[in-house]
Amino acid sequence: MHISRRKILAASGAVGVAALIPLRASKAAGDVLRIGAPLPLTGALSPEGTKLRQGYEVWLEAVNKAGGIKAGSSTLKVELVFNDYQSNTPKAVQLAEKLVVDDKVDFLFSPFGSGAAKAASAVAEKHGVPMLASSASSAEVFDQGYKNLFGLYTDNSTLSEPLADLVAQRLPAVRRVAILARNDLYPLSLAGEFEKSAKKRGLEVVYFEKYAIGALDHSAALAQMRAAKPDWIVVTGYINDLILARKQMGDLALSASVVTMINGPAYQEWIDAVGPLAENITTASWFHPVLRYRSEDIFGSTERFVELFKARHGSEPDFTQASGAAVGVILQQAVERAGSADRAAVRAELAKGGFKTFFGPISFGPSGMANSYVPPAYQIQDGKVRVLLPDEVRTSDFRAGVK
Amino acid sequence: MIAQILANGLLLGGLYAAIAAGFSLVWGVLNIINLLHGSFIVLGAYGAFFLHTAAGVSPFAAAPAVGALMFPLAYALQTMVINRVVDRPVLITLTLTFGLNLILNNLMLLAFKADYRKVVLDPPLGILDLGAIVLPVDRLVATACSLLLVLALWSLLRLTRIGRAIVAVRMDRDAAALMGIDVRATYALTFALAASLAAAAGCLLAPLFPISPVASATYLGKAFVICVLGGLGSVPGVVVGGFALGVMESLGALSLGPEHAGTLAFLLLLLLLLVRPSGLLGRRGFD
Amino acid sequence: MRGLLLPLLSGVALLAAAAFATLAGDAYALRLATTLCLYIGLASSWNVIGGFAGYPSFATAAFFGIGAYAGSVLQAGYGVAAPLAWLSGGIVAALLAAGLGYCILHLRGHYFAIASLVVADVLREVANSWISLTNGGMGISLPLLSIGVEDQARLYFWVFGAVAALSVAAAWLVDRGRLGFALRCVEQNETAALMLGVDTRRAKRAALVLSSLAPGIMGAVYASWVSYIDPTDAFDVLLSVKPIIMALLGGVGTVAGPVFGAAAFLALEELFWRNLLELHEGALGLLVVLLVLFLPGGIRLVRPRRLLAFRPLAKPGRTP
Repeated sequence: MHISRRKILAASGAVGVAALIPLRASKAAGDVLRIGAPLPLTGALSPEGTKLRQGYEVWLEAVNKAGGIKAGSSTLKVELVFNDYQSNTPKAVQLAEKLVVDDKVDFLFSPFGSGAAKAASAVAEKHGVPMLASSASSAEVFDQGYKNLFGLYTDNSTLSEPLADLVAQRLPAVRRVAILARNDLYPLSLAGEFEKSAKKRGLEVVYFEKYAIGALDHSAALAQMRAAKPDWIVVTGYINDLILARKQMGDLALSASVVTMINGPAYQEWIDAVGPLAENITTASWFHPVLRYRSEDIFGSTERFVELFKARHGSEPDFTQASGAAVGVILQQAVERAGSADRAAVRAELAKGGFKTFFGPISFGPSGMANSYVPPAYQIQDGKVRVLLPDEVRTSDFRAGVK
Repeated sequence: MIAQILANGLLLGGLYAAIAAGFSLVWGVLNIINLLHGSFIVLGAYGAFFLHTAAGVSPFAAAPAVGALMFPLAYALQTMVINRVVDRPVLITLTLTFGLNLILNNLMLLAFKADYRKVVLDPPLGILDLGAIVLPVDRLVATACSLLLVLALWSLLRLTRIGRAIVAVRMDRDAAALMGIDVRATYALTFALAASLAAAAGCLLAPLFPISPVASATYLGKAFVICVLGGLGSVPGVVVGGFALGVMESLGALSLGPEHAGTLAFLLLLLLLLVRPSGLLGRRGFD
Repeated sequence: MRGLLLPLLSGVALLAAAAFATLAGDAYALRLATTLCLYIGLASSWNVIGGFAGYPSFATAAFFGIGAYAGSVLQAGYGVAAPLAWLSGGIVAALLAAGLGYCILHLRGHYFAIASLVVADVLREVANSWISLTNGGMGISLPLLSIGVEDQARLYFWVFGAVAALSVAAAWLVDRGRLGFALRCVEQNETAALMLGVDTRRAKRAALVLSSLAPGIMGAVYASWVSYIDPTDAFDVLLSVKPIIMALLGGVGTVAGPVFGAAAFLALEELFWRNLLELHEGALGLLVVLLVLFLPGGIRLVRPRRLLAFRPLAKPGRTP
């Protein structure tokens, strides 16, 4: 040992203190509404995390430009406190707790996706902080009887049911359904809903398999699927899975009357990455810029939101980006109605529902999940996303056949 | 259907050989597990992507150019950073490449964004219909190119002076030094060569797989398995390991269900490590 | 005295931190202190096999993950009380380590590293596919404890703190005992140790099992702490890598090294994470690289002049 112990202690102590000092959360005084938002900015979910953040920003800028949120007699500036949870769910939970306890946020936006939202909802419940889930659509997330969790998305079955109806009405010859799902909370739950919807209409599910997270090859699964001669193919997963699955379907010359993929084709990146193979793929998602809602929120209409988003980020918003802004406007309306940032009052307003937003009319069911709108179904036609359902916003007619 | 699945497995296996070749070379010669390898592949894929979008260069044609671009970068990295600790225990070198990979991956995330991209060949190369089986032409070309890459590496090691020097260092570092071989320079050459191979392999993957910094861990994992399967630091071993993994994954997905294909590969790797750490070919030495 | 002072000091430092955190009632400090205990436990445990014996183990994630799953399944599925479930986490991890001891400890160097790394991958895939037991990719939500929020935070701090203290104490005992001697023989020259009559196999197995206990328990407690686990996060490879970096930071193969390393690592990690929104991983990577290049012996060997002189530290001569 050629160094004194005192030096060791001094060194580690110094590092510890140096790190601690700038870390103290500044407790902002005055009329500020603080919202905590754990985001996956690095790691596997970083594409989605970045999108959510872009959505938050558009809303935040709009609100603060207008002076803030009017709550009773005062106007609250909005401050969003966010940090990266590295796509690691336990980290998201800890971050949510940190935001509540240390940064003293008034409300929470959930981390991305169903699993993390479910995990973080325990923290929100524990501390009695209302949390808006921007991207959770699996009923399992909302099955714990929590009072502080409000989900923007409708249940997964609202994606499968309209598409199943469409297929059953338009293509009575379709009998055989094949489903391939990513072995993960949301995609698996969604695939289960498609299975139910298909069986309910007397269709036969001839193939149902799961693939591992991070799978690099679907060809064996798809070859088996081809042997089952399906008329309707459903693949669930995230954008990278669906790029690869669609490419490999093409490689195997696997064709069917209908091919549905969720979540992916509603993203422009997906269409760019699969090229001509995108043609006639059907999908569904909770939002698309072609929607035309009049709203009572800060944006006034879907069109105006899309315009602002384009001005800020240079592209049309997809559903994840829109979700970020949507949880913002819902919270804003709830605070305005409650007349204060009091958590109990805002929670009561959220539970009452009836928010007219650019995203759609939002009210929450008893479990806290939105149940007030039907997500549109789409088809990629000539490289563009076209709306098939519901009838009010239809832009194109359904085309059968995917080569 | 079995024929189709076997064909898929073989096509994939050829790609796997190219994915693992550089990794195996570095491990064998430098005795370093290069955790940067997956990121080098992704970097190469981005190279192909940008060349394709900007100038319409086919990713197959881009492979040698992108590989050549990678060479000086990797050479510099080896001489300036890795060579400083190359003789230290596995813990040190592994931790170093882990840290370097964190940096590279973070930079890629910033530079390229995490959004998934892919090269879409226009016009598409289509498929080859042989009746019982169908083969995608782009994958066929990629696999052929990837085997060519591995063959090029093999001939380089066999037939050139540089190659013989690398093999000599691989077999006995001290003896090689006594024979007048500059060991440090050989290390740098080897590392740069391996990185070029990785980047070229990335180009070949660009039209087949989604590209994102997030994907690098997957490629690295495959390289691990293939390397241990085929035997460390042997070029024929990489080919055998690649085909073995490709076929096993495909047959595993068929018999056990697709979600277990990955488990099977990992279990096999563990088993092989336990009973036969020198790999299927069981040869040591780089020839 | 020399051997006694450092662990004693670390114990005192821990207690001081604890007292500070609990008395101040500051939730942030408390959580940081809790995380510190977790890190100390992991790093100190790793040090027994990785430092004393010199076996580059990447199995921490496997021990942690299997402990987390054992604890969660027992609590959520079978209603076992939390303390019992936490202990079971350690036992299951130790059983895994005992089994692994027979399988992979004959491997050396890179091969051992890879084999220990792959264990976590296999277990992750098993957790993903054994849906009836683990709920697969859906993850497991754990029952919340029916005590107040602040009491919970304190409880978890004390539990992690106790496990951390026990693992440091265990490392200290090993260091001074026959086992430590045997392990150091293994580290220096395993073949020679064998010839001198040291039962290296038993020593290595004991070390591996010892290094699995705390991570197993901590995995189970961690699962309760965050109240949700899924396969990807429970078997995260970073759980294997971070303890190694901590030990490197503080000094591999010493009792106090991992303790100080954990503290320094946590401080830096927190600093980067809070201040560099999108670059914190790169910053951490840079730290690791600089550490390996300039301070392979840990921060206790800081000598300013060496930092300035840019020259290789490696001595010639190969260590396999």
